[in-house]
Amino acid sequence: MDNQAQRILDILTNALWPLVKAGLEFSIPLTLIAFSLGLVLAFLIAMARLYGGRLLSTLAEIYVWIFRGTPLLVQLFIIFYGLPSAGIIISGFLSAIIGFTLNVGAYTSETLRGAILGVSKGQWEAAKTLGLNRRQTMFKIILPQALRICIPSLSNTFISLVKDTSLAAAITVTELFQVAQQITARTYEPLWLYTEAALIYLVFCTGLTYLQKRLEAWFNRPYQGGGI
Amino acid sequence: MIKMKNVIKKFGQQTVLNGINLNISKGEVVCIIGPSGSGKSTLLRIMNRLETLTEGEILMKPTRMGMVFQNFQLFPHMTVLENLTIAPRQVDKLQKEEANLRAVQLLKKVGLSEKADSYPSQLSGGQQQRVAIARALAMQPEVLLFDEPTSSLDPELVGEVLSVMKTLAAEGMTMVVVTHEMGFAREMADRVVFMDQGIVVEEGSPESLFANPKEKRTQTFLEYVI
Repeated sequence: MDNQAQRILDILTNALWPLVKAGLEFSIPLTLIAFSLGLVLAFLIAMARLYGGRLLSTLAEIYVWIFRGTPLLVQLFIIFYGLPSAGIIISGFLSAIIGFTLNVGAYTSETLRGAILGVSKGQWEAAKTLGLNRRQTMFKIILPQALRICIPSLSNTFISLVKDTSLAAAITVTELFQVAQQITARTYEPLWLYTEAALIYLVFCTGLTYLQKRLEAWFNRPYQGGGI
Repeated sequence: MIKMKNVIKKFGQQTVLNGINLNISKGEVVCIIGPSGSGKSTLLRIMNRLETLTEGEILMKPTRMGMVFQNFQLFPHMTVLENLTIAPRQVDKLQKEEANLRAVQLLKKVGLSEKADSYPSQLSGGQQQRVAIARALAMQPEVLLFDEPTSSLDPELVGEVLSVMKTLAAEGMTMVVVTHEMGFAREMADRVVFMDQGIVVEEGSPESLFANPKEKRTQTFLEYVI
């Protein structure tokens, strides 16, 4: 093996653990935290839009409109670089969590709203005739069915989020891509290092997709009969 | 038990019920028959407050009512047992063991003991409707309302549902049944109510109503369906 190939191989080998570590320490936690918070936010927004009355529903609509209509990177810049001018200073990691959560919330609330409306009205009626109140009906009857309808779309959002966390590099979060940039700055091998980073994202996404398939199968379990 | 006085229901410009007076007594089996669009289902839905009425009044003591729908409306994400226990546990705060025990007894009653752990999608239409009846019974209702309970079933599955309903009627359950099953009405009803265009055209015992309908509209309808 010639010297150049050996050098690149060494760089890549040495970079592997720092990159994976950055992924495990920042990219994946960022994804999981923002996704979980985003789901809760999405549920609240969907409720506001469906049952919140005129004011809440309009506010929710404006929020969704803004966050779906502006670039995520710009939002992150406003939170991290912009807000300090207004006296609000937030760390890069927290800024990223806020930005990603607000985004997931905006996108997912629409999906969830559609799915809740997609559960037949008869299910509400059946629950009502059994004496269940609206809250019990929502949590026990409607939401579990709506989530099943949402799973493919939620999975897409989730996978996108894994990759979008690379944008946090731009606001100083030392996640996977940021670390790749740092190592590149030292070694001048952007092609190889960024490819390596891409492959690690690919592995993460593949693993998460597998989990998503399992989850989907679990949610679909009651529907395997197909009647007799 | 239930007294309806001059009940009127309008959906926008359309008058669906146009002054209904109807009483249901305890232990009675009342079958409501009539052409589609006559307001039968709406009347049933007003009784259990799935619809509000536009005018008139319904007098009754607080009465627990169960309802059986044409399309079953079982909860598809729950097993049969869970379908039967969800309301007793959530509404009446029954312990799991007690709710399960009640559910198992009801499943036995409708002949589906072995299906407790199945999901609705794994059952035939007739089985699903029997589960739906058991689910309604799990809340120990004083009145059971049936909204065309056999209309979406294949003909060979109608019998098993009707036979469960006959058992309930024989046990003295108060039942209001909107149905196209004239055989059931003739055999089991204490009273048959014929509705058309939002009014009660005629009511009476099945013998008198089926054998000598007084009103022309009833005669025409019965000639058509029987």
